[in-house]
Amino acid sequence: MIAQRVAGLALAGLAAAGLALGAGPARARLSPKRAETWSVDRGTTAVLIEDHRAPLVEVRLMFPIGLWSPWAARVRRLDQAFALSMQDPGGALRARADRLGVEIALTTDARMSVLSLGCRSETLDSALALARDVLANRDLDRGEIARRNFEGDLEWSAAEKDPQSMLRTHVRRLLFVARDPRRTPYERPEHAPGDPRALTLARDTLVRCPGRAIGLAGDVTRARAEAAARALLPAVAPAPPSGATPAPPLLLPADRRPREVSVRLARLTQVYLALAREGPALTDRDYPAFLVADHVLGGHFYSRLYQALRHGEGDTYATGTIREAEPAPGAYAAWTYSRNANAAVAESKLRGVLRAFHDGGITEEERADAAGYLRGRRAFAVQSPGQVLDRMLWDRSRDLPPGYRDALVERAAALPLAEINEFIRRFYDPARFTLIRVETK
Amino acid sequence: MRRLARCLFALAAIVSPAAPAAAASRPAAPPEFVDRTLANGLEVTIVADTSLPIVATRVWYHVGAANESPSTRGFAHLFEHLMFSGTATHPKGAWEAHHHRFGGAENAHTSWDETTYESDIPPEGFLPVLAMEADRMVNLRLDAKALDNEKRIVTEELRATIENDPMSRLLEAALKALCGDHPYAVTPLGTKEDIAAATLEQARAFYARYYGPKNAHLVIVGPVDGPATLAEVERHFGPLPARGERPPEVPALASLAFPERIRLHEDLPPAEIAALVYPLPPQDSEDDAALGVMEEILTGAEVDPFREDLVRRRHQALEAGSQVLMLRRGGVLVFYSAVLPYRREEGQFAVMDESMRRLERAEWLTAERLEGAKRKILRGIDGMRYRAADMADALAHDGWWRGDAALAFTRAERVAAVSKADVARVFQRYVAGARPVRVYVQPEKVPVLIRLFGWLAPLVMR
Repeated sequence: MIAQRVAGLALAGLAAAGLALGAGPARARLSPKRAETWSVDRGTTAVLIEDHRAPLVEVRLMFPIGLWSPWAARVRRLDQAFALSMQDPGGALRARADRLGVEIALTTDARMSVLSLGCRSETLDSALALARDVLANRDLDRGEIARRNFEGDLEWSAAEKDPQSMLRTHVRRLLFVARDPRRTPYERPEHAPGDPRALTLARDTLVRCPGRAIGLAGDVTRARAEAAARALLPAVAPAPPSGATPAPPLLLPADRRPREVSVRLARLTQVYLALAREGPALTDRDYPAFLVADHVLGGHFYSRLYQALRHGEGDTYATGTIREAEPAPGAYAAWTYSRNANAAVAESKLRGVLRAFHDGGITEEERADAAGYLRGRRAFAVQSPGQVLDRMLWDRSRDLPPGYRDALVERAAALPLAEINEFIRRFYDPARFTLIRVETK
Repeated sequence: MRRLARCLFALAAIVSPAAPAAAASRPAAPPEFVDRTLANGLEVTIVADTSLPIVATRVWYHVGAANESPSTRGFAHLFEHLMFSGTATHPKGAWEAHHHRFGGAENAHTSWDETTYESDIPPEGFLPVLAMEADRMVNLRLDAKALDNEKRIVTEELRATIENDPMSRLLEAALKALCGDHPYAVTPLGTKEDIAAATLEQARAFYARYYGPKNAHLVIVGPVDGPATLAEVERHFGPLPARGERPPEVPALASLAFPERIRLHEDLPPAEIAALVYPLPPQDSEDDAALGVMEEILTGAEVDPFREDLVRRRHQALEAGSQVLMLRRGGVLVFYSAVLPYRREEGQFAVMDESMRRLERAEWLTAERLEGAKRKILRGIDGMRYRAADMADALAHDGWWRGDAALAFTRAERVAAVSKADVARVFQRYVAGARPVRVYVQPEKVPVLIRLFGWLAPLVMR
């Protein structure tokens, strides 16, 4: 350890020398501060990240309803209703995308649905016309709906044979009631309605919902972006559909959760373990302390979990934590796996790491390293204009102010050690965790 | 289902005819590009771009799983783990701790053809990366305790990624059946028996033989000063001894006699998968650019013509598609389809053959599709300007697989020059005029209801 510290000091000196070796004045780098926003109409905002390094444009049409909304649950498979917009029976829309050489995807997450489109700047106008026609498509391919339903069943059948997939599923089953949208992505997928009219009705309601955003990033000027945004989307509705606001159900009460859960699969040569409980919401006042604590526990290759379970005696190849970042409580778990003959040892070590973490907290050196990591990591999120745009729209869909997560990192990095350790004593109580074990039949 | 089929052939992408010689002449390098070979043999490539927020450093050692002997399967990968054991100057953990402190990312990968070490870090943390990479290139500390621990870790990795994953078990079996005795026939994770038998002496010999400047390529991309960075590279790597040898060339797979058919069973979801596997040449072939455009039209499109015919038009499969998979000495183009298990093997191949005959009419090869495919490829090339890691990977890849790192900068020109006639020619050469290996995969268990009524699926999907 002493040698490592000496080496660390020497490396810090080299790093300082590296600053002196600097490459001269850097061109202005990307950041959310470079974004321009304006209102297109009373329910639509435009966002522009201008960056002319490459002749490329990324477009995002963001609609502020996702799978967590009760309305989405009522319409059944909002994600498929949205994604199937590309699937006309003759394939004309897809053929247009191929001729233009654009990438187009329609995805739905917890709180938003997004049409993403990437193109070269010379094809932007044609690509936007394609996006408009995709969102207006009412001729959905019935065969494709049925095929996707079959495919979902088969993929679930494969997931049931995968121990890591089953571990993730059972962490959610421990915490969430059957129809909780935080659980449904880890269960057998519901079939989409076979009637295309039901799907297009849901999609049309979605794209007219107020609060939507048109994002453009890359080789596009403000004037071109303004012109593009004006006629892109259908008229906005006066109000969102009833039940559009996310309302996740209450968690299953902690005192009704079992102390241990055993799941058995055929032919396993390893046991897969998780110690699970609910995690804090992104907007929880404890979240900055949680960021630091979780990072020290399982967020890197020399985390507490890695040191105990991999570097010491090779009990495992991988370990870590499951952590979610949404403005509602989510799942949290420390996990690992090990060979069957070593199952008891691995379980004991996993429990031991958690107990020592709870009892002793973290050191000042660990806190400072975590702060450096969290701050430095932000540079990876601003490499391309599309990344910056995606982060802005994600924050917006969660009703968070721009740059919320960057500010969260700053708050986390500035927290004193005592405050973090006080949180660890409250949150990492081993009695609050349930052991989930996926093992061989 | 696509994942299932893609996984199935991900490791089976290994059939190749003889490789034609590289035809491209050396292109002019852009001004911020440094490409040198040091006196000790280390190849160095630097791209300086001040608009990038991250410095990506890659060290590629040109040795991989295909260079192992039949009794040391998995050794190149095991040794990759040992490269994190530390040196007298930089003890175990210092490399990771340095990256961690700056929010950086570090990793390593072993493939059949190379072993790669990767560092992505904000510029203020970059310089020590050079010192540490140079140090472990020749001063690695190898001891029995570290070896024993990494053997346990690698064996856990093998259990998790192959033994306990039905699709990976299938891949492993498919690879062996397809490639026979060729070095590509075993996955880089190797076998538990060979890993258990690995010795410290073998590790020392492997390190001395293959790890050194003469068998390595250092690539740096990011907001650095090119000449100053080259001077730093000279300072850290220049004094290293000129050791490290290039392993013997992996034999061309085309010399092997491939089986006409492969039949496999695995604990999979209740679907049967058929595949037609066509060999492709290595990427230093004169057909490289035309094959890339053909691949984009056939496998990267929203309208995949094979899938469109089999699934959408004729409703003869639950899923279908095509995919190209490459290793350094060649690759394969795979056309696959999946059906519920009610049709016999010959029936499924018959409907696939019909779709292949339709592909041979080349209705998919229009001028508009050609231009669209080129735009999409160019978009990918231009997108590398945003990410240092993507650019660094492309440079290292082109250096080893295509013979010249600078080819990464001229790929756009080569793609732009591809004509319809070029694509038609390579389709005729590698698909229409070739005989594929036929692979058929059946699930071990099928629910009775699916066996009885699976034939209804195509009707439902109309």
